[in-house]
Amino acid sequence: MTGVTKPVRTGEEIPSLTKTAYYPIDPDARNVIHTDDYARDLGMRGALVGGSTLLSYVLGMLYNYFGQKWLYHGKISVSFIGGGVVNGDVVTSHGLVTAIEPEEGGTRLKLDVWMENQDGAKIVVGEASCIR
Amino acid sequence: MSEESGFEAIPIGMEMGPLEMTLDEDTVASRLELIQWENREPVDKYGVTPPGITINQHARIKFMAWPDLSASIWAKSEHEFLKPMKVGSRIFIRCKIIDKYVKRGRNYLVSECETVDEAGEVLLRSRETSVYVK
Repeated sequence: MTGVTKPVRTGEEIPSLTKTAYYPIDPDARNVIHTDDYARDLGMRGALVGGSTLLSYVLGMLYNYFGQKWLYHGKISVSFIGGGVVNGDVVTSHGLVTAIEPEEGGTRLKLDVWMENQDGAKIVVGEASCIR
Repeated sequence: MSEESGFEAIPIGMEMGPLEMTLDEDTVASRLELIQWENREPVDKYGVTPPGITINQHARIKFMAWPDLSASIWAKSEHEFLKPMKVGSRIFIRCKIIDKYVKRGRNYLVSECETVDEAGEVLLRSRETSVYVK
């Protein structure tokens, strides 16, 4: 079962979620940042895994924690930093509870969220919140 | 058309879409496989999609609107989830350019997107800042 079921305190980290990043490489991709040649010309290691795919990994962690409530009350704001993610990178999503505030309908948990790669470099940083 | 003129030609307030999408089982399954979604609860127990599986369509709307756009790279992405998307339902996504600016030689577009169901209820509100590359 997903969803918060036990008391939570600020400073707690929610269960992280690790994925081996994958994005289908299409040399004819409409968005050329997802092609090897173009991405390498920009100084990247290769075709970038889509931002919406990386966001989905973070959302997976948040859904696992908040359950269905995320679909009604979830908010997230993230920035994409660093050199991006390429296929095969091992990326881990994290969330740290920073505030617990009463709100109509329950208590809203606020979290710092981030994703880091296998080298510990942050590639996604931001905030999320949801009523529990 | 140069990159500058392409970017400069985009008016603030420009509306894009709607993009209509049917969230049939095949579409949902295909997206879940792509994003390696493992938690079956939303689909199997509640008959709804996991969060955010339509967000990749926001870029598609931009590529449909601007044929000379080569790449759109997310810088920032904000989303508010308001209601689940039912498997089998039809949704409509509309986007609007709300700001644009140049920073460190890069062209940035800020857009807001709203995803609604067939009854017009808002399911998802998004605001995205992306780098426009011709």
